[in-house]
Amino acid sequence: MINLYQFIPEIFILSLILITLCFGLFNKDRAISLNALGFILLSILLLNYGKDFYSSTQLSLNTINLFVLSKIILSIGSIVFILLLKRPLKNENLYRYEYVLFILFAILGSFVLISSNNFLTAFIGLELQSLSLYLMAAFNTKNLSSNEAGIKYFSLGALSSGFLLFGISMIYYDTGSFSLQNLDNFTAISEIGLSLVLISLFFKVSAAPFHIWTPDVYEGSPTISTLFFATLPKFASLIFLFRVYQELNISDIKSLNYIFQMVCAISLLVGVYGAITQKVIKRLLAFSSINHIGFMLLGIMSYQFMSEGTLFFYLIIYLITTFGIFAVLLNLRTANGEFIKISQLNGLRFASNSKSISMLVFFFSLAGIPPFAGFFAKFFILSASINDGFIFLSIIAVLSSVIAAFYYLTIIKNMFFNKLEIELLDDNNKTGKVIFIASGLIITLFFIYPDPLINLVDNLFK
Amino acid sequence: MSFPILSLLILTPIIGALTLSLSSSTQLKNKTIFLSGLWITTGEFLLSLLLPIFYDKSKNGYQFIEFHTWFDKFDINYYVGVDGVSIPLILLTTFLVPICLLCSINSIQNRAKEFVIYFLLLESFIIGVFVSIDLVIFYVFFEAVLIPMFLIIGIWGGENRLYATFKFFLYTLAGSVLMLLAIIYIISKVKSGNIELISDFTFDQQIELVLFLCFFASFAVKVPMFPFHTWLPDAHVQAPTSGSVILAGVLLKLGAYGFIRLSLPFFEYASIYFQPMIFALSCVAIVYTSIVALRQLDMKKMIAYSSVAHMGFVTIGIFTLTQDGINGAYFQMISHGIVSAALFLIVGVVYERHHTRMISDYSGVTNVMPKYSFFFMVFMLSSVGLPGTSGFVGEFLVIMSTISVSVYLTFFTAIGVILGASYMLLLYKNINFGDLKSDIKQLADLTNIEIFYFSCLAFLTMLLGIYPKLLFEMINKSISLSII
Repeated sequence: MINLYQFIPEIFILSLILITLCFGLFNKDRAISLNALGFILLSILLLNYGKDFYSSTQLSLNTINLFVLSKIILSIGSIVFILLLKRPLKNENLYRYEYVLFILFAILGSFVLISSNNFLTAFIGLELQSLSLYLMAAFNTKNLSSNEAGIKYFSLGALSSGFLLFGISMIYYDTGSFSLQNLDNFTAISEIGLSLVLISLFFKVSAAPFHIWTPDVYEGSPTISTLFFATLPKFASLIFLFRVYQELNISDIKSLNYIFQMVCAISLLVGVYGAITQKVIKRLLAFSSINHIGFMLLGIMSYQFMSEGTLFFYLIIYLITTFGIFAVLLNLRTANGEFIKISQLNGLRFASNSKSISMLVFFFSLAGIPPFAGFFAKFFILSASINDGFIFLSIIAVLSSVIAAFYYLTIIKNMFFNKLEIELLDDNNKTGKVIFIASGLIITLFFIYPDPLINLVDNLFK
Repeated sequence: MSFPILSLLILTPIIGALTLSLSSSTQLKNKTIFLSGLWITTGEFLLSLLLPIFYDKSKNGYQFIEFHTWFDKFDINYYVGVDGVSIPLILLTTFLVPICLLCSINSIQNRAKEFVIYFLLLESFIIGVFVSIDLVIFYVFFEAVLIPMFLIIGIWGGENRLYATFKFFLYTLAGSVLMLLAIIYIISKVKSGNIELISDFTFDQQIELVLFLCFFASFAVKVPMFPFHTWLPDAHVQAPTSGSVILAGVLLKLGAYGFIRLSLPFFEYASIYFQPMIFALSCVAIVYTSIVALRQLDMKKMIAYSSVAHMGFVTIGIFTLTQDGINGAYFQMISHGIVSAALFLIVGVVYERHHTRMISDYSGVTNVMPKYSFFFMVFMLSSVGLPGTSGFVGEFLVIMSTISVSVYLTFFTAIGVILGASYMLLLYKNINFGDLKSDIKQLADLTNIEIFYFSCLAFLTMLLGIYPKLLFEMINKSISLSII
């Protein structure tokens, strides 16, 4: 007898999907607002009863907390995203309710992925998520680069799914089990299989050297889809990667641990190296996200110290910052459409106070310079990694963040020192404005008074 | 201590900046903005005067301590307090910031509101560095200083400002991140960021050497010491006058302060081990940059190089590891803070009137600007180290303390004094004496505001030169504690 109780969040989203499918035909505005409402309900549900859902399972308390916290973060992220997406889609003439369905499917996939205890379920979750993402990349069907992005993402993603399946089948051949928990006696074959699984996951979180799709897909897709790629699905895949690392004790397997460290170092360096020369905002953000993935992998590897709090702190701050940056970008429009090049940001200071100052906060926070929360995010990751003895990786990490500071400063330079060149259209997107101002405030306030966030993470991990 | 004076010192400028930023900029005139900034900073100065008045010189350790938990879980605390080493530097900061605002009322025309806001933020961050006795918040403030300074140089700087401000930011950041790693390592070993606790902790000798070098990287860039000094001339030349004043007056002292406050007490073995290296670098700094300064065509660049040479005295003094040496170095820091700030203001005065900093464009200024030449002379002589001015006491003590270490060291340090005299006198001669150039004739002499702040600075220079005990009383006890 299957206990359906533990699937309540997933069933909830599934019913949202069905309702949206029927209702969206008649009134897409209402359908979209309904989804926002649904996710608000879901986050309240998870916040209050999240732990009870999984009480009948045999999972450890820590894992249950991990599920609940990540699902809360995902649903809150979805609320923000759904509130944000209306205006940008309208601007591109893409305002159709199917877009929300893709998001719902992707979130459903992410939920399944996060809480899967079995490689096959994980595969299903990952595929559900990825297929929605391919569609979102190609959503602007009239735009050539959007199509290109979709096809690139799909073909490379399919390849990585192939790796994943092949890896899973090798593990199954060796151990006769798909479960994440019962893998104890490793032979060389399962190690190879697991490394293939890891490669596929690295691809999903766009860690170097499996990052090649990232800049093109980020650039080609509609900006609102780019925001989605950069935040929620990546977050879910990272959590699953974290679980694989934790459940399978990868730190004890020398060869895999080595792969992990190499990927971390390469991501840190490739991210900054690629970003320096970029002229297009979204490509720069793509490479900068690769650099941040390096930090997160460092956090995954050194989770023993100070519990999962460090990783989650980093992830939450990173999500908020990314949401803020994209909310500003989505609010900036010229007569020719969206902002594409970094040089278009020139003199933003004179055009809009709130946008330029929020961007200043976001980029200094990404660079890890106090007094913004990004500093503590990096500080905790580095504390954990130094405590766990990853001194060489920590040195690479801080040096990469100095180089990263260079291109963040270039953006700030463009906004604050250069003269205004382009005429901005007044977009009057209130929700976007609220979101980036709120993110900016949160980033600053978390630095001064981080207790709420720390306590939230802490309580769930007790 | 119930009255939270240190937090108030940190918060007053921030609150002032917030209030200013919320006011609408279109209605306010530049003058009103500067005046409100002046009120805030003057109030801050008066507030900081309470520190030396209520500071108990007979007691050891930190006073006016405030302790708040910040990150409960990670044992990171907001822990501030002052001792004799920090109070004079806080006073120097609060004293120089109003002068910076005063001197830019006329020269900063565009975006005045932002200018005042950045200066207020800068002031509170700098004070934060001087009052923090927890490593993490020390680092936080140390790093945060970069942001307003980056914007000040980048927005109001000269024609090559982008290069200068990027170089300034990235050099300093590259140094600081190594210190960050060292700080994290120390905290993970000692399980606390409290400076006093860490001083009592003994590290492995090998590790201590590495940690020392990490801190050294950060402070040596800030001071700046010889191979890391190249950002300074660029930053000074491109910065607006007020930026140069605060940069030379206070920011350079952050590095030296870090050496006294952190490096010496933490790493006793390493400080002795690296003594020769630091002496060698400082000697090179003194002699080499003095010679470089001798051949400069740009006034600001010349004074910038002279700053490097003068800070060389400071590092030598600190690493003699004797009471006299550190006292002298500290005196030199304060004196250099006043004098170099004044010299940059001096350059700013003629630059504002004549729009060139080339020495060759000036000649015979004393004919049209006698008051200007008078103040120039006071500060020039103080920079040279004439007895009776503040420059003398510091240099004298440092040179005296070097004898106990090595006579060669004394020799090179003394050469620095001679070279210093030659370039400063040359600068003074070339600008003030000689034939009156025709385009100099219409230059107006100092205004009342300028006379006001130059007299304040000159008075301080003389006061410290004639009665150095004023400062030594304050610092003696605290410094004797940081010596090994």
